[in-house]
Amino acid sequence: MPRQRTRPAPRPAQKRHPVSKRPAVPPAPGQKAGEGKLKSRLRLFSTRSGMDLTFFILVLALVAIGLVMVFSASYANASYRFDNPYYFVAQQARWAIIGVVLMIVISFFDYHHLHRLVPLFAIVTLVTLGITVVFKNTNLVPNNNGAYRWIQIGSFSFQPSEIAKFTLVLLLAQILSAHVFSQKRRRDLTRNEKLEQRRLMLEVLVVVVAICGLVVLERHMSATIILLLLAVIMLFVAGAPLRWFAVGGAGIAGALLLMLATPLYSHVGGRIAGWLNPFNPPEGVDTWQTQQSLYAIGSGQLLGLGLGNSRQKYMYLPEPQNDFIFAIVCEELGFIGALIIILMFGVLIWRGVMISLRAKDRFGMLLGIGLTMQVGIQVVLNIAVVTNTIPNTGISLPFFSAGGTSLVMLLAQMGILLSISRTSSIEKT
Amino acid sequence: MANKTTSKVWRRTTIVLAVLLLLGFGSVLVSLVRLQLVDGETLKSAAVSNQLNDTTITAQRGTIYDVNGKVLAQSATVWRVVLAPAQLKSYAEKNQETVKDGVATCLSQTLGLSYDDVRATIDENPNSYWQVMATKVETDIKDQILAFEESFQEAHEGLDISSMIELVADYKRYYPYGDFASQLLGFTNDDGTGVEGLESYYNDELSGVNGRIVSAKSATQQDMPFEYQQEVPAQDGNSLVLTIDEVVQHTLEKYLEEGAELNEAGNRACAIMMNVNTGEILGMATKGNFDADDPIAESVAEEGSFDPNDPRALTESEQARIDALPEDEQAQAMSDALQQKWRNKCVSDTYYPGSVFKMVTASMGLEEGIVNDNTTFTCPGYYYPSKNANPIHCWQTAGHGVETFHDGLVNSCNVVFMQVGLSLGPQTFFKYFESFGFTEPTGIDVSGEAQQTQYYDATELNPVELATESFGQNFSITPIQMLTACATIANGGELVQPHVVKQVLDPDGNVVRTASTQTKRQVISEATARDVAGLMEDDAKSGTAKNGYVAGYRIAGKTGTSEKIEKDNRYANYMNENGNPGATHDYYIASYCGFAPADDPQYALLVFVDEPNAGSYYGNAVAGPIFNKIMTDLLPYLGVEPVYTEEEQAQLDVQAEDVVGQSVADAENAIESQTGDLTAVVYGDGDTVLSQLPAGGSNVPRGGQVVLFTTAESQQETTEVPNFIGQSVANVEYLAAQAGVNVTFTGATNSTSASVVASMQSAAAGTAVQPGTVITVTIAEQGASG
Repeated sequence: MPRQRTRPAPRPAQKRHPVSKRPAVPPAPGQKAGEGKLKSRLRLFSTRSGMDLTFFILVLALVAIGLVMVFSASYANASYRFDNPYYFVAQQARWAIIGVVLMIVISFFDYHHLHRLVPLFAIVTLVTLGITVVFKNTNLVPNNNGAYRWIQIGSFSFQPSEIAKFTLVLLLAQILSAHVFSQKRRRDLTRNEKLEQRRLMLEVLVVVVAICGLVVLERHMSATIILLLLAVIMLFVAGAPLRWFAVGGAGIAGALLLMLATPLYSHVGGRIAGWLNPFNPPEGVDTWQTQQSLYAIGSGQLLGLGLGNSRQKYMYLPEPQNDFIFAIVCEELGFIGALIIILMFGVLIWRGVMISLRAKDRFGMLLGIGLTMQVGIQVVLNIAVVTNTIPNTGISLPFFSAGGTSLVMLLAQMGILLSISRTSSIEKT
Repeated sequence: MANKTTSKVWRRTTIVLAVLLLLGFGSVLVSLVRLQLVDGETLKSAAVSNQLNDTTITAQRGTIYDVNGKVLAQSATVWRVVLAPAQLKSYAEKNQETVKDGVATCLSQTLGLSYDDVRATIDENPNSYWQVMATKVETDIKDQILAFEESFQEAHEGLDISSMIELVADYKRYYPYGDFASQLLGFTNDDGTGVEGLESYYNDELSGVNGRIVSAKSATQQDMPFEYQQEVPAQDGNSLVLTIDEVVQHTLEKYLEEGAELNEAGNRACAIMMNVNTGEILGMATKGNFDADDPIAESVAEEGSFDPNDPRALTESEQARIDALPEDEQAQAMSDALQQKWRNKCVSDTYYPGSVFKMVTASMGLEEGIVNDNTTFTCPGYYYPSKNANPIHCWQTAGHGVETFHDGLVNSCNVVFMQVGLSLGPQTFFKYFESFGFTEPTGIDVSGEAQQTQYYDATELNPVELATESFGQNFSITPIQMLTACATIANGGELVQPHVVKQVLDPDGNVVRTASTQTKRQVISEATARDVAGLMEDDAKSGTAKNGYVAGYRIAGKTGTSEKIEKDNRYANYMNENGNPGATHDYYIASYCGFAPADDPQYALLVFVDEPNAGSYYGNAVAGPIFNKIMTDLLPYLGVEPVYTEEEQAQLDVQAEDVVGQSVADAENAIESQTGDLTAVVYGDGDTVLSQLPAGGSNVPRGGQVVLFTTAESQQETTEVPNFIGQSVANVEYLAAQAGVNVTFTGATNSTSASVVASMQSAAAGTAVQPGTVITVTIAEQGASG
């Protein structure tokens, strides 16, 4: 791509997008028609302008801090279990590099190509989620603390629910950008408009119920909640009439109650009891992890024990490099350190939302908001679990919690956001 | 254009963003502030105690010795047996079952635990390193465990189960003399902390400092890599050398117990002996209640080990009484009963000193020059403390008539002392009252000293109160305060602080510090002190305190008989209604306080019996004989040289000549030609004397008999000791002659009163003894006294 280097402001794509049916952007002034063919090839890395640096740097910074914290949090555990203090951090670093490269690469792609990948993602999601439900307790889907959320192929493992989150955001962005909620009052709608609105809602419902339903069968409470929140946010932003939320909310509440009544979710009562009384839990409720997390956070006080000086990571806090890594952050870096990281996440989310709002089209806007909100929801829920603000449930902290595939997926999604930022009219700093 | 971001989208997105950032981020930030900044300190210390592996190295508690180095309390090593089920994982899987079986067998055989329970403990606590299976295990049991481990290892190809069973050294407290000086020594609780008596007062000194090995451990007990290992070696406790003399203490306890039983003491009896010049306490004893129907089942002292925490420390009747109570009252009753048992009456209880206090009032009057020995008073049997007050009676309601101040003390005349007190006036009286130390604790180094006593201060001392306080009623003090005041008179007027610890030794036996005599102040002049000592000597020799008299030892004594009433129950009113002492007040404290030798006082002794119920309740009759016996035994032991007056010399025992091996005729002649009117009594029909009783060189009372045994059979003969108690001297002598035993008298031997009777005897009635055995009979005046 030598041309690109010589042309800092390459010409926009000229061809109509096959899926979006978006009108083509008129050629930039001064562009010669003869360059069209080359351009159409280059359009893959397209780019009317550069990506949003603020967002990019924040992501890199969070990945870097996350790596340092994974090392600090995991080395005692790694030494003890694998006799190798670098066991976790080496893997995580490898995946982080792959992820960052992937992010940059994806940022050059026009995110509209995703339209073509929708069926693929839908199928992969349904199949993988289906596998966890059907093949539970086999070598493929091993028992992981009583839940079956991981697909294990050799030494490689991933959570289908991670893919499901992206698929949901993608599908909803596509549906809600292709169809628009009518802003008319209900009685003013024509018969056709009514039908169209119902069809739109039906599409949304099918997508949400299919994905969430499988995740529910996976016995994955936290993912279900995140998926539902994402759906609600995207529908809300897309302008769904508020009465739908009343109906939907009632439906969800009913479904949740029904779900809690099944033996699959019998553990929820204990979790709540343990949440209310973490240091004196009722008989049979294990709150060890929460207790140790609170000890760690409290030990940090204002300034922390210093990087690497956590004591709770010495087998007190189980798997400190995973969901509870933020407790170690609080212990080592103190309230000040935790506050800075939370602020970084806050800025990242704010920036992500701004990029999305100024996206060139509705698909980009909805996709961007969905991906940003996914990060935001996970950050809040993770820290809320770690601080025992809400009952304990397994949610990882984006960029921090160890886990290669999910980090790569997250960075790929950030790549999509960066891709959106390239077309966004946001002021890039 | 549909694709353009509309204002509605902006609005709704802003709402979502606001909810996420404010509600979501806001609430987690609030949580962090609470956890890290508000509760941080608490959580941090909880985390630290969670993380630190703190192994205590128990310090050995110091020993308590008596003044002669006899061990009164000592700690010995015992063992804590701790099971570490988590170690099971370190064995190969195929061996784990064998190890479990071995451990359970070992502990069930050595500790008597149930085999199944041990196995259950291992199974139920797979991650635990610390399951205490037994505490205070003796060393021989520990050796059995080690031996089992060794034989198990041999039998199972080197499989070592010792990592599963940890043996941790601990200490246990032994009191070699059992239930001895128990209220004074106190005891330790299960943690080895002193909770009563000296064990409690000197706990910091005795306990030493436990050592610790503090290391930061991971949850799996691996050492953490950062430097956090500190070892602080244990510092063993210091030892105490008491001023208590085991012989003195035993003597006090023996005679107190006897006295308490004889007088059916309703609320225990106590005695304290003190060196008047140094303030050293030689003995301090409290003896329990006497229940005529149920002889005290004192705690069972098993081979010198004595466990004060054992409920057996209660008498059986007390236990039965507690068991009969409703369940919710039992715990309180139990604690009250134990408290009562362990309360050191000598320092914790207060009482009215009664007439014993007259020695103090006498000191005030003589020091202030208000009276001298020859000042005369008239006692009509009562006295009006002020114009409008009702008369207060003398114990001798008929009155003592005209008497000198000297005789006033010897007669223990209340009227004389009321007048002395009123002449002193409230200011002066209270000045001395304070100076003698009655308004402050003595500061004795024993736990539980009463911190507050009840008395009227100078402004409250109206004539009635002043008059009654002058003869020792109407204010409460502790026995130790009274004895300290008595010691002040004995030692020439200096108030010394009593103490029971002579030296503190470090674990290597080096002296850390030696208690010195703490003189608080000169209370009265030496001349006054001598004067009062002289009066008290006369009192013991021929006055109301005769029963304390010990020939040759110049006893100075004063008796006291006090009614038990509360301060609130105004004494004057009570006197108005009932005269003195009132018939409605059945409970008395009989006490005797004195010192010896009067010309060079060394030792002061206070004896008091709370609530004597066996008839007489007068100090002289109840406490006098106990005082007498203690002094008779202890003054020679303490090295006080007897000095006999001529009359005493005339009554003194003689030493029998050794006639063993002589012919009967020679022997008879030799005995009967001795001074002292001895009679020889021949047993058996042999020709030579095989043995004699009393033996050659030992004491025989004047006019007594020496029994000469001439045959082997005659040596087997016995005679029954008669019951002398309550008999007159003449009757005792008659009974003794009849039974063929010798008697020697002690106590009120100077008494000319017809009411002198035997109150105690050294061998119990009915005991079979050899003829000629010398039995000591204490005689005492039974009559009323102040």
